[in-house]
Amino acid sequence: MGEHILSWMTFFPVIGAAVIAFIPSERKEVIKTVAAAAAAVPLILAVQLFMTFDRTTAGFQFIEHYTWIKSFNIEYFMGIDGLSVPMVLLTAFLSFICVIASWGINKSVKGYFALFLILEAGMFGVFCALDFFLFYVFWEVMLLPMYFLIGIWGGPRREYAAIKFFLYTLAGSVLMLLAMIAFYLHTSDPVTGGHTFNMLHMFDQANHSEWLQGTNVRHVLWLALFIGFAIKVPVFPFHTWLPDAHVEAPTAVSVILAGVLLKMGTYGILRISYPMLPDQALWFSYTLALLGTINILYGAYCAMAQTDMKKLVAYSSVSHMGYVMLGMAAMTSAGINGAVLQMFNHGTITAMMFLCVGVVYDRAHTREINAFGGLGMQMPLYFSFFSFALFAALGLPGLSGFVSEAMIFMGVFPVYRTITIIAALGIIIGAAYVLWMLQRVFLGPKNEKWDSLPDINAREMFTLVPIGILVLLLGVYPMPVLDLMKVTLNNLIKVVAG
Amino acid sequence: MELNLNIPSWSDLRFWLPEAILCITFLVALLGDLVVRGRRTWVPFAVSVAGLITAGAYAVAAMNHGLDAGQFQGHTIMGSLMIVDGMAGFFRLLFIFASLVTVLFAWTSEEIMGKRRENKGEFYALTVLLTAAMMVMAEARDLLMLFLSMEAVGLISYVMAGYMRTSLRSSEASLKYVLFGAVSSAIMLYGMSLLYGMTGAMEFDGIRNALISGTVDPFALLVVVVLILAGMSYKIAAVPFHYWCPDVYEGAPTPVSAIFSVGPKAAGFALMIRFFYTTFAAGTDAGTQLVQDINWPLLVAVMSVATMTYGNLVALRQTNVKRMLAYSSIAHVGYLLMGFVLLSSAGLASILFYLLVYTLMNLGAFFYVVAINNHLKSEELSDYVGIGFRAPWAGAMMVIFLASLTGVPPFAGFVGKFYLFTAVLDKQWFWLAIVAALNSVVSLYYYFKVVRAMFLSTPAEGTDMSPLKLHWLQYVVLAMLAIPTLALGLFFEEFKGLADMAIGMMGG
Amino acid sequence: MNVGLPHFLTVSAILFSLGLFGVMSRRNAVGILMGVELMLNAANINFVAFSRYVEHSINGQMMAAFVIVLAAAEAAVALAIVLAMYRNFGTVHADSVQSLKR
Repeated sequence: MGEHILSWMTFFPVIGAAVIAFIPSERKEVIKTVAAAAAAVPLILAVQLFMTFDRTTAGFQFIEHYTWIKSFNIEYFMGIDGLSVPMVLLTAFLSFICVIASWGINKSVKGYFALFLILEAGMFGVFCALDFFLFYVFWEVMLLPMYFLIGIWGGPRREYAAIKFFLYTLAGSVLMLLAMIAFYLHTSDPVTGGHTFNMLHMFDQANHSEWLQGTNVRHVLWLALFIGFAIKVPVFPFHTWLPDAHVEAPTAVSVILAGVLLKMGTYGILRISYPMLPDQALWFSYTLALLGTINILYGAYCAMAQTDMKKLVAYSSVSHMGYVMLGMAAMTSAGINGAVLQMFNHGTITAMMFLCVGVVYDRAHTREINAFGGLGMQMPLYFSFFSFALFAALGLPGLSGFVSEAMIFMGVFPVYRTITIIAALGIIIGAAYVLWMLQRVFLGPKNEKWDSLPDINAREMFTLVPIGILVLLLGVYPMPVLDLMKVTLNNLIKVVAG
Repeated sequence: MELNLNIPSWSDLRFWLPEAILCITFLVALLGDLVVRGRRTWVPFAVSVAGLITAGAYAVAAMNHGLDAGQFQGHTIMGSLMIVDGMAGFFRLLFIFASLVTVLFAWTSEEIMGKRRENKGEFYALTVLLTAAMMVMAEARDLLMLFLSMEAVGLISYVMAGYMRTSLRSSEASLKYVLFGAVSSAIMLYGMSLLYGMTGAMEFDGIRNALISGTVDPFALLVVVVLILAGMSYKIAAVPFHYWCPDVYEGAPTPVSAIFSVGPKAAGFALMIRFFYTTFAAGTDAGTQLVQDINWPLLVAVMSVATMTYGNLVALRQTNVKRMLAYSSIAHVGYLLMGFVLLSSAGLASILFYLLVYTLMNLGAFFYVVAINNHLKSEELSDYVGIGFRAPWAGAMMVIFLASLTGVPPFAGFVGKFYLFTAVLDKQWFWLAIVAALNSVVSLYYYFKVVRAMFLSTPAEGTDMSPLKLHWLQYVVLAMLAIPTLALGLFFEEFKGLADMAIGMMGG
Repeated sequence: MNVGLPHFLTVSAILFSLGLFGVMSRRNAVGILMGVELMLNAANINFVAFSRYVEHSINGQMMAAFVIVLAAAEAAVALAIVLAMYRNFGTVHADSVQSLKR
C-alpha cells in the first residue's frame, strides 16, 4: 500500500460499498461490520500518512500521476501538501467515528452504509486531487450519496432539505465547471504546449494565455469559482440550504456535513482560487473579510434565536466558518495558519456537538431546547460531554477552538483593525447562545417527562471520547497539526501576497 | 471482428450489406408472423434479433475495414445518392444498438405484447425497417435521397405510434404525428425545390459548388435555409416545431416512444450535420463563410436556447413521467444544437458523442417506465411512490439514468455536456454555455422529482410494498444501458475518438 | 405571351400559400391532408420547372415522380390513421381530439 497510499485511502471505501451491495439486506450486523472495516483502513493509512509526511517542504507528496483521458489531457493526479493533510486526517477520523455513530440505523441499512462509503471516497478524492477535472468529478460524486442520505434517512422535511442541498450545490458547481473549462482552454502545458487540467500548471501564471491575463476575465473567473465554493462554505447570502440540511439529516450525516463538507468550500478557495488567481485574491480580500465578519455575526445572532438544538449548532457552524474566511482574508502567516487550524478544529468540535444532540434526540425524540430542563442531574455524564463541546465551541482557553481563533485574530488585527473589532463581538454573542442553551437544557427545574432517560452508553462514549481527547490535546499543544501545514501555507502567502 | 464480405466486387451494393440485411429481415419477420400467427409469438422476435445482430456484425466489420485502410472517406452507392463513410458507420452502429435493445425490451412489455401475449409481431418487423430507413438518412447525400429517407422514417413512425389501434391515446398520438409530419415535410420539400432552382444541383457537393461560385441571392438563400431547417427541426423536435413531441411520446406505446426519442432524432441530426456541413461549411473547419449574409450561429444559438429552456421549464410541472421524459428529450435537443452553432468539427463531434450517451441514458429511463408500467399500469408520478424499494436494483439503475440525464459526474451525461461546453467555450460563446449550464441545474429538479417519489417519499398507509418481480430480460437490458452509462463517464477516450473519427472521415 | 419560369414559380407559390392556408384553417383532418397535397404539388411544379429551365436535365422530373408516389403512400397511411381515429373518437376534427394532456 505504500506506493499508492492516497488511492488506497480513496478507493478502499468504494470496495467496501461494492461488497456491501452484495450482502443480503437481512444481515445487518455483517453490513455494519464491513462498513466499519472499510472506514478503518483509511484511518490506519491516515495515521501512516501523519507519521511519514515530510513537514519541511511546501511541495506535494505521495504523488500518483497517470494519464487518464489522453485526448483532453486529463490526468489521474493525486498528491497532498500541508494544506490537504489536515483535511485528509480529519476526513478519515470523522468518517470512522460516523460509521460507529450510525450503528443505530435500522432503515435500509445496506443502502445507508454503501452510500456513506461512497461519500467518504468522494471526500478523500477532493482533498487529494491535483487535476482540476478529477477534482470536479470527486466534488460532484459526493452530491448524489448526500442527497440520498439526507433524503431517505432524514427528518420530517427531508425531501425538501435534500433537493435544496442538491440544487444549491449544483448551481455553484456548474459555475465552477465553466470556469474550469475556461482555465483548461487557456492554460498550456509548458512541455507539450497543449491544453491542460493539471493544477500545478494552472498555478503558474506564465502558462496562462493572453486572454486569461485580462483583468475583467480574471474578475469573472474569480467570482465564478468563489460562488461555487461559497455555496459550500456557506457564505452569507448562499447559506440558506445549510440549516435545512442539518436539521433534517441523520446525526452522522450532519457530522460529516459540518465536519468535512463545509471545509471543502474554504479548501477549494485556498487550493484553487488563491494560487490560480493570486491578484484577484488580493483584490477580493477586503470583501472576503467583510463577508467573514457578516458570517460570524449573522450566524451567531441566528443561533441565539433558535429553539431547536440542531439548528442552533448549524448556525454556529455558519458563524465559525466566518472565522476561517476572516483568517484567509488576512494573508498573514498567523491568519492563514489559524484559518486552516480552525477548519480542522471546527470539524472536531462541531462533530462532537452534533453527536451530543444526536444522543438526546435518540432518547427523547425531540430537540426543542424549551422541552428540556434540569437534564444535568438526570444524565450527568452526558452533561459533561456536551458542556465540554460547547465550551470548546465558544473558545475557552485550553481547548482547541481558542487556539485557532486567537491565531486568526492575531493575524487579521494588523490588517483590518475595525473589522477585527467588530468580528470580536461574535465571540461574545457566541458565549451568549452557548451558555443560554446550556442553562435551559441542563440546569433549572427538571422536567418530569424525562425521568426515565438513560445516560450516555458505551458506544456513544466510544464516538465522543476520541474527539474530546483530540480537542483537549490541540488546545494545549497545537503543534502536531500546525507543523503539518506551516511550510505550505507560508509558501502560499508568498505566492499570493508576494 | 473479421467477416468476409462475399459480394461481387463490381457491385457497390456490397457496402450496403447491413441495410440490405435489415430489409430482408423485415420481410422475413413480417411473413413469418403471418405464417405462424397466433401460435409461435417468438418467431418475428427471434428473426428481428437475429437480423439486427447480423447487420450489426457487418456494420462493425465494415467500420473496421474502413479504419484498417487508414482512411474511411466513403464509398458512394447508387450513383451519388448515398455514401457510406465514417459518419454513416458511426450512426449505423448507434441505430442498430438502439433498435436491438428496444426489440429485446419490447418482448417483455405488456403494451406491445398484449395482456395474454396475443401475437403482435408487426412491432418487431417495423422496428427493423425503421432502423434501415434511419441508416439511409445518415447516408443520404442527395436531395432526393434526403427526402425519401425522411419520409420513409416518417411513414413507419406514424404507423408505430398508432400501434395500439383500440387505444384512444395511441390513435390520437399517431394522428398528431402524421398531420404535423406531413405539413413540415411539405414545407421542407418546397424549400428544397427552391434550393434546387437556385443551385441547379441535387447532390450536396453540387449545391456546395454552386454556393461557392457566389451567384446565389443571399435573401433567397435565407428563405431556403429557414424552410429546410423547419422540416429538420420537426424531425428532431426543436422549438418551435416541437408541438407533436409530448403528445406523441405520451400516447404511443412506451417502447415506441423510447425508440422515437433517440432513433429518428439522431437520424435527423445525422442528416442536418451532413447537409449543412457539406453544403454551407464547405466541409471544412473554416466555419460558415458561405453563409455570411445569414447569421447562422445566432440563428442556431437562439433555437438552441429556446429549445432547452422551453423543454426544461415545461418539464418542471409535469406529473406524468412519460410526458416529462418527452419534454426532457426536447431540452436535450437544445443541448445538442449547441454543438451545431459553429459547424466546427469539434462541435459536430461533440454532438455525435452526446447522441451516443443520450441514447444510452434516455432509452434506459424509458425502459424503466416500461417495466414499471407492466405492474402499475400507470406512468403517473404519484403512483411511483416507494417503487424504488420494491425493485432496488432496477431503481438504482434508474437513478443512474436520471443523474446522467441531469449531467452529474461520474456518469456519461456529464462527459457529453462537458464536451459540448468545451466546444462552445472554445469559440467564446459564453452566454450560450452559461444558459445551458443553468438549464441543467433546472433539469435536476424534475429528474429528481422522480427519484424523490421512488425513494424519498413515504408511501401512504396500505400501499402495496411487496417486492416487484421484473423479467430477467429487463434486468439484462437495463444493465446493458446502465453499465456503459457509468463506464463512459469515467473512460470515454475510445468513444470520443470514435466520434472525432466519424466527423473527420465524413465524405463530401 | 411567352410562358416562362416566373409563371411556373408564381403558380407554385400561390398553390403553396393556398395549401398552407388550408392546413392552418381547417379543423377537419382530411382537409388538412388536402392542404398538404397542395403544398407537395407546389414543390413538384417547382422541381419540374427548374429541371426544364435551370438544370436542363431530368433530375427534377425524377424527384417529382418520387414525390407523387410518396404523397400517395403518405395519404394512404394518414387516411388509415384518420379512420382509426374516427372509430375511437367518432370525429375527424383534429382539435376535438383531446385525450392527452395539454
